[in-house]
Amino acid sequence: MALLEVSGLVKTFGGLTAVGNLSFSLEQGELVSVIGPNGAGKTTLFNLLTGAYRPTAGEIIFDGNDITGCKPFQSAARGMGRTFQKTTVFRDETVLDNVIIGQSVHLKTGVWGAIVRTAGTRREEERVREKGRSILDFVGLANTEGRLAGNLTEEAQKRLSIAMVLAADPKLLLLDEPTGGVNLEEIGGLIELVKRIQQSGITVCLIEHKMRMVMSMSDRIIVLNYGTNIAEGTPAEVASNKEVIEAYLGARRVA
Amino acid sequence: MKSVFSPERIGWLLALIVAVLLPLVVGGYLTSILLLIAIWSIVAVSLNLLYGYTGQLSLGHSAFLGIGAYALGIIGVKLHIGFWPAFFAAIAISGLFGFLIGIPALKLRGPYFVLVTLGFAAIVGVIVLGWTQLTGGANGLAGVPRPTPIPLPFGKTLRFDSLLAMYYFTLFFLVLIALICHRLVRSLLGRTFVAISRDENLAEALGINTMQKKLISFTISALFSGVAGALYASYNSVISPDIAYFARGMDVLACLIVGGAGTMAGPMIGTFVMTAIPEALQIVPTLRTLINGFILLIFIIFLPTGIAGGFKALFARRRRSLSSGMGRNGIA
Repeated sequence: MALLEVSGLVKTFGGLTAVGNLSFSLEQGELVSVIGPNGAGKTTLFNLLTGAYRPTAGEIIFDGNDITGCKPFQSAARGMGRTFQKTTVFRDETVLDNVIIGQSVHLKTGVWGAIVRTAGTRREEERVREKGRSILDFVGLANTEGRLAGNLTEEAQKRLSIAMVLAADPKLLLLDEPTGGVNLEEIGGLIELVKRIQQSGITVCLIEHKMRMVMSMSDRIIVLNYGTNIAEGTPAEVASNKEVIEAYLGARRVA
Repeated sequence: MKSVFSPERIGWLLALIVAVLLPLVVGGYLTSILLLIAIWSIVAVSLNLLYGYTGQLSLGHSAFLGIGAYALGIIGVKLHIGFWPAFFAAIAISGLFGFLIGIPALKLRGPYFVLVTLGFAAIVGVIVLGWTQLTGGANGLAGVPRPTPIPLPFGKTLRFDSLLAMYYFTLFFLVLIALICHRLVRSLLGRTFVAISRDENLAEALGINTMQKKLISFTISALFSGVAGALYASYNSVISPDIAYFARGMDVLACLIVGGAGTMAGPMIGTFVMTAIPEALQIVPTLRTLINGFILLIFIIFLPTGIAGGFKALFARRRRSLSSGMGRNGIA
């Protein structure tokens, strides 16, 4: 059974159709890229999947549950993690605190536990710190835990924003341009990180514009244009698809 | 890790010692002012939890102050129930109102939320003035009970009939509430509050049930403001509608901003400064609003992080320059 199954997804803003009748599925453990020209509806799709937007029509089945119309915190609690195009970390908090906040879906400390600092609360704090450190280690930020997140480089902030999402133990990771705004020579490291995440068993779906990167790392590619998927398949299939070449790649070759 | 005698802890300890000893030295008049400072500090501390740490600006905390005061007044005067059950009922009622108002209000964000809290405060103010049978209207309520003595072991009793005893009673609640807020904010629960105050959308995307956390913060904040209201009513023994006047909510916010929102000491420093300066200068009450407005303006322009926030930045800068002077491993 597919991890994520989207059928007939529609989102209109007034008269504008951002996503129109979109259907696709993601298999467990895949790395799938969503590509398409600007305004094709890629980020809108992510917003629909996580529940930031409410779909006008359609159905989203995630891990066997219907999550259509869920709120973002609910889809996150069910194991759908996402990062944003604009790098988002809590700039005024330390790096470690950022990954601790990322573990929110698992936190059990309530008002009473916080006030009296029960043994369970202290154990949880210790556990959360340990796990935070191991995740920072995994994403390659081991020596930065005490620094303010806002003082990190753009590339390190990208890593941190991924670490924050990983902290919730997601089953599916939605990455919105994980290499956007990062220096060319730093991209390789981020690609390597995304691959390691996939190898650890997490299904990854990413939005990207960098074609060479998409072609080399994706198991499958979904091509969006005007809110619908005009093609879907392996990188080789997509690259030879006529419609794709016309709508997207072809436009580049002409230019 | 912090040592037991960190500068911060020594500062708090000194402040507490001064707060305990000062009324023994100064006269009754100044003690009564210290008592009022303690009461308004409780409101500022509770607003700080909501605004400073959770990022939700309420201009309506006069409502919870009023609800706490009138709940104690009505239950104590009209129902003739003893002080202690009435006191705890008043606190619970304030918290309940916070919970019930929070559910619709917190669905709104930013200025819309602020307006709802302000509207709620205005409504409570009108009800307090208009529902004469219940609240006594403009005449208010007289004869609000003082705390009844608590029997102690060895045949002694804890009595609350002197001004000094009422002061320590109030100080006890200020310290207790400040400690609870400190624990809350430093906890994992408190970190989710702070996350919401920094970026609500990101917090939600990371799986934080922002509505639930905001409601917890709002309810606790309302409950603590109710404690301040009940303490005020008991100390004054007479309550009039001006306790629930909506402008009071803005006075509290002014204290919070001057002292430093989002810091532990800020609300208390701010309340002290905003009360002590006009008092020391013996300014007539009508001019006080003007002076306080002027102080607030100065702070918003030149030191928006408030007094405590300014100190924090100063120490952080000193620490940075020290560590850079001593090399990377100079200060850990």
